[in-house]
Amino acid sequence: MLQIENTLFTIVMLAYFASMILYFAFIAVKKDAVARVAVGLQIAGFVLHTAALVCRGIGAGRLPLTNQYEFATSFAWGLCLVSLIFVIRFKFPVLGAFAAPVIFLIIGYAAMQSKDIKELMPALRSNWLGFHVSTAIIAYGAFGVSFVLSIIFLLRDRMKASGFLDQHIPDREKLDMISYRSVSLGLLFLTFTIITGAIWAERAWGSYWSWDPKETWSLVTWIIYAIYLHLRLRKGWRGRSAAIFCVVGFICVMFTYLGVNTWLPGVHSYA
Amino acid sequence: MHFAIALLLVLALACAASSLITQNQTYAWYSQRYSERTAGLIMALHLDDAFHSPWFIAITAFLCLNLLLCNLLRLPRLIRRTQAETRPESALKLPGDVSAQGVADPGAVFQRLRMPKPTPCKTGDGRDALFAARHPAGLWGAWVCHLGILLLILGFSLGQMTQQQYTVYGVPGQIKRIGDTECFLTIDDFRVDKREDGSVAQYTTDITVENVASVGTSGGSASISVNHPATLCGMKFYQNATGWAAQVDVYKDGKPIQQEVVCAGDYMSVKDKEGLVVMLNALYPDYVMTPGVGPSTASDQLNNPAYLYSVYYQGQVIGMNALMNGEEITIDAYTVTFSNPQSYTLIQVKVDRFTFLALIGGLVTMLGLALALYVQPARVWAIRQDDGLWALYGQSRKGGALFRERFNKAIDQRSQDHASD
Ligand code: HEM
Repeated sequence: MLQIENTLFTIVMLAYFASMILYFAFIAVKKDAVARVAVGLQIAGFVLHTAALVCRGIGAGRLPLTNQYEFATSFAWGLCLVSLIFVIRFKFPVLGAFAAPVIFLIIGYAAMQSKDIKELMPALRSNWLGFHVSTAIIAYGAFGVSFVLSIIFLLRDRMKASGFLDQHIPDREKLDMISYRSVSLGLLFLTFTIITGAIWAERAWGSYWSWDPKETWSLVTWIIYAIYLHLRLRKGWRGRSAAIFCVVGFICVMFTYLGVNTWLPGVHSYA
Repeated sequence: MHFAIALLLVLALACAASSLITQNQTYAWYSQRYSERTAGLIMALHLDDAFHSPWFIAITAFLCLNLLLCNLLRLPRLIRRTQAETRPESALKLPGDVSAQGVADPGAVFQRLRMPKPTPCKTGDGRDALFAARHPAGLWGAWVCHLGILLLILGFSLGQMTQQQYTVYGVPGQIKRIGDTECFLTIDDFRVDKREDGSVAQYTTDITVENVASVGTSGGSASISVNHPATLCGMKFYQNATGWAAQVDVYKDGKPIQQEVVCAGDYMSVKDKEGLVVMLNALYPDYVMTPGVGPSTASDQLNNPAYLYSVYYQGQVIGMNALMNGEEITIDAYTVTFSNPQSYTLIQVKVDRFTFLALIGGLVTMLGLALALYVQPARVWAIRQDDGLWALYGQSRKGGALFRERFNKAIDQRSQDHASD
């Protein structure tokens, strides 16, 4: 099973890479047919990625969500899922073009991690862990998409008006609204992640909140996006300022994911 | 609102900054890590225990007050608005967020927008009208979310203020008092389940708890393991950790006078000689002594157990060394031996009556968020014009551009339907 997973993982990386190149080509040659192939390849990559995760799950005899490699590959999977949903739902292949390099970077990071399967320490053997991490993947994926959308928003302001732009990138208001939708999805799932994490911590360690750095940073991220929501309620904060805030929010997400593990010690250091 | 946003920002910054400073250390630790000046600043600003500091509590209290007032003040308006949302009178006068003229079949547009069946009504000037409202519960999202956050913070704070926490450790057969309570815990058994590769799969302790003040009322037995706590006598028991323990025997003039199981890090007072204390500093199951490095263990297996001990008399260290199985310490007429190395279990005992309130708060927050972000109230109304066709209007407080797009699509589809007719 793990051999199959290894092979699938390599194919998935190639598929994501090819779809990224095709997305770039779509922007360069401005042909819809190229975008359709890029989306198709991304979907194929996603299906194989799902199969790779299932194989690893079967091979390891548990959910593949417990070490750096597994979380990174699942993060790329979540970002791919959410970006595909938004690309298809809003007929927006340019989003795919901007999301593809981020997905490729994350899966590249996964490829650099050790793929060894270690037996789990008793504290990690919990169904709550499954809920905790899988909701985190969707939350991170959705925040990733809002980040990509905000970058598009900020770049769109600097680009010269053209038929291609108007046809393939939604207007400012709609772009802002789609970004808000992805933040909404992310915030809902981040709340779920924090609550399921607290329930798990209570069962494993007897304390549902201990101000561990990872907990604290997920709270910081939650507050940042809560501020974003409140600021949006005041009209002036739509558009550009909201987009900049989304970028800051995603930097917090990445710090919670990578920075905390690297620089701050805590009970989460293993994942 | 400005104040709330400022407070949230300060809270986020405070949390971020505090997470960068290792918490709960001493002045000496900080001055060694940073400088004396920084250490002084950390202590003065309570940054060594930031999350329990007066300023952190003050920010949180202000936020709660702000939230509470906001929710209380908005309640009457929210109730009025919810009632108005489902009443045609409040809508028919409005221009709507989006509108269309000359619609022949408004019923089909209502359907395409997945609105409930519209109710016929009259405008102020007596024209025929249709009205439908959807999901008014969405108006309550922010309110419910704020309520959830308040309950969550309340549950957490009350828990922190009132919780009792104890640690009990020992080996099977021992009976331990739980802190200063009237409850006693018997460790019936302790098992470490290992996999084939030697890694630990689970730690399990069988316990019996008895309340001596009210015999038989709430005590009982349970098996606890990591991730599977149990509640007995109104307390929650968690399998928390393990370590090594050894049997310590004391002899006087060759005759046994005392025997106890002592956990590593713990000590035993010799009853026969006041002031004489034997401490088991550490137990190495597979002892190796590396010159220049010191004592360590080669594995978790009991291949070559060694006991690192200290002996104190009247508070002074009088001996310290590593002892192997069968070796003994002699102090005047007393002889001490270590044997029977075994694993001890460490159980955490907790009473927090407000955990459920925090949990309810969390769930209510989730519900509020789902309502706020995913339940979109919308109302659509149609007014018959003089030419017999209808003017259609739509309003969605949260739908924005996406609602307007859906509305226009539903209208366009109507004209396409017409064209194909
Ligand atoms: C992420 C979850 C949250 C959501 C979805 C949310 C949503 C909202 C909304 C929609 C409003 C405006 C209501 C209106 O003007 O009709 C609002 C106002 C407000 N929010 Fe939040 N909120 C959240 C979290 C928080 C938190 C964590 C705090 C502070 C602890 C907070 C404090 C406030 C305050 C003080 C107001 C102003 C109330 C007023 O002006 O009457 N909110 N919130």
